[in-house]
Amino acid sequence: MIKLTKLFLLILILVLSFQKSLQANNNSLLINKISKNLRCLICQGQSVYDSQSDFALSIKILIKNKIEEGKSEKQIYDYLKNQYGEWIVYDPEFNKKNLVLWIFPLILFTFGGLLIFRKVFIN
Amino acid sequence: MISSHIGYYSLVLGFILSISLLIYSLFCFRKNNKQINQNVFSILFLQLFTVVISFISLVYSFVISDFSNETVYNNSHTTKPIFYKITGTWGNHEGSLLLWLLVLTLFIFLFIVFSKKQPTKYRLLSIFFQQIIICGFFLFLLLTSNPFNFLFPIPNEGLGLNPILQDPALAIHPPILYLGYVGSSIIFSASLASLVENNINSEWAAHIKKWILISWVFLTIGILLGSVWAYYELGWGGFWFWDPVENVSLMPWLCLTALIHTIIVLEKRNLLKSWTVVLSIATFTLSMSGTFLVRSGILNSVHTFANDPKRGVFILFFLFVLILLSLILFFIYQDKDNNSQKEFFLISKETSILINNWFMMYFLSVVLIGTIYPIFLEVLINEKISIGPPFFNKLLIPFVAIFLIFMTIGPKLNWIKDNYRGIKYLRIILFLICLILSFYLIKKTSSEILFTSLLGGAAIYLLLISIEDLFKKKYNISQVISHFGFSLFILSILINSLFSNEFSANMKVGQEISFKKEQIKFSKIKIFEKENYKSVVANFEIIDEKENVISLYPEIRIYNQPNILTSEADIISSVFSDKFMVMNLLKGEEIFNVRYQTKPFMIWIWLSAFLISFGGILSLFRRN
Repeated sequence: MIKLTKLFLLILILVLSFQKSLQANNNSLLINKISKNLRCLICQGQSVYDSQSDFALSIKILIKNKIEEGKSEKQIYDYLKNQYGEWIVYDPEFNKKNLVLWIFPLILFTFGGLLIFRKVFIN
Repeated sequence: MISSHIGYYSLVLGFILSISLLIYSLFCFRKNNKQINQNVFSILFLQLFTVVISFISLVYSFVISDFSNETVYNNSHTTKPIFYKITGTWGNHEGSLLLWLLVLTLFIFLFIVFSKKQPTKYRLLSIFFQQIIICGFFLFLLLTSNPFNFLFPIPNEGLGLNPILQDPALAIHPPILYLGYVGSSIIFSASLASLVENNINSEWAAHIKKWILISWVFLTIGILLGSVWAYYELGWGGFWFWDPVENVSLMPWLCLTALIHTIIVLEKRNLLKSWTVVLSIATFTLSMSGTFLVRSGILNSVHTFANDPKRGVFILFFLFVLILLSLILFFIYQDKDNNSQKEFFLISKETSILINNWFMMYFLSVVLIGTIYPIFLEVLINEKISIGPPFFNKLLIPFVAIFLIFMTIGPKLNWIKDNYRGIKYLRIILFLICLILSFYLIKKTSSEILFTSLLGGAAIYLLLISIEDLFKKKYNISQVISHFGFSLFILSILINSLFSNEFSANMKVGQEISFKKEQIKFSKIKIFEKENYKSVVANFEIIDEKENVISLYPEIRIYNQPNILTSEADIISSVFSDKFMVMNLLKGEEIFNVRYQTKPFMIWIWLSAFLISFGGILSLFRRN
């Protein structure tokens, strides 16, 4: 165990010292990131990023223009939601309509935790 | 023509045998014989035989391209290679249901042959419950999805099989996945039988554990194959898209994984009986609704449901009957005086397995709600939302991270009660080092640093701990291998998603573009005529900083029947990174859209997923 920890410390130091600076963020990365979170509305279960359809290509150009205009990621999503409806984004909003979606698993988790607690401590 | 007749009538015969088995198994059950009547074996065998005959007839119709058969007409073509004519048999709704039925009858036959040491009444009841399922499938096939419908006048040519399905990985993916799905039907029937017979105990657990392991191994490998196929055939460079069709196969897997752990508690401590039954029922229900949801097209769009209302209604009714039946049985026969006098201690293997189940059920609930919520929303308030990777990442990553930490502790604990051995400072230091390392690697690439680095740190920590365990004889080797595989799996996915690079551009022949430290040169293009498609193969040269040249040959296939273009990626795999290149035709036929990606640790994802299932295989062949 001690050996393992020491060895690992050594590796850590090596990695830290040899780390090269990773790529800086640029526009094309952001376009990719955004388009991965968008549904290609005319395709079967493909994202805008994956699709080569005219629709997807035009959305990619639109994203590019918006970024160059200096819009933030969130502003771009909001704009698209306004244009095409909520269906276009893969990340559902946290709102009244989607409350069950976000809360249900967490409630279930809490409930499960309570059950286990009861089993272990109250017997 | 004649093969369709044979196929159809042997299906009808199989259905009659199924009905007679339903009655006969109950009759034998009442008679209290010590042995199972030889007739039961004969009928079971005969039933398997009729389904095999029916299946072979369908395969034969596909092989000889008998277009008087509607299924063959819709899904085959004379110019298709023989291999895909055969695999096309289960590449469609009717054929895949017939395959389900084949595996169902095969499994019950094998189950009865290999369960001779079990009580007779329990075996008879297992046959009875399994026959209810089989009966339902026969009816479903004969009434709504007959694979042997005739067409007249006989068409000269078929419509062809979707080219993206013409692929070796996808040819074997459905049968293996089905072995996993249908394996869970045996677990379902057996636990209901055992419930009724009040036979749920350690001995039963040891016997059913093998069947759970078998279906789990097949399910794992089936999902893996589907994922490998998506990676190289769909041409997007991803391997998991949180697509409903994928989620549907993941749900029974999560449930079955929980069951594998629970059954050990039942085997060793004779505890958690009702929970075992609940998990068995849930696994099978999820498998079946999964197949049906995919097959009926509900998932892609709510509206296709209405296209064939007969199928949809049958599915719903059948599922309803099975769930109702199992719930009623569960409440009548549930062990009332539960062994609650047996204590659960906080620091014990039982509790750690409960924690495993707790997390598994949480993961299951996330995947389940993420898959069906859009359907409900559309039906109820007519609003469409999409649920994709961001949703699943948000709800899963933090929990998986904590889950991984539990995995480093749980398997080391003793049964019943373990002693609190004090805090191991060295372990905590090691864990902190892992966290720092993970944070340092991740901070420049990820936007959600907190949870991602926690996940990375926990995965590295579990990896180290399980490597250490691999060299100790003290622990169960198959468990250590699976857990080691799991940590490697999470780590590889993380590295892969964080450090993938990609380049996309429109290029002409002869053009050269530099990307990062590499030069990408589009050197030439060649066109070949193949059996049932035209192939356009490009040659790209990737020149790295040390002047090493790597050639990649992405391809576009233009299929004639049906007329579809597919892009075949060219992938060069090395130990640490895949080079992935795919191209698409743009209008004008001179310019191609080229996408080049470097994807680190791809092989490790496949390898680790295989390691996870290998643990299961090993456990099957080990004697206790």
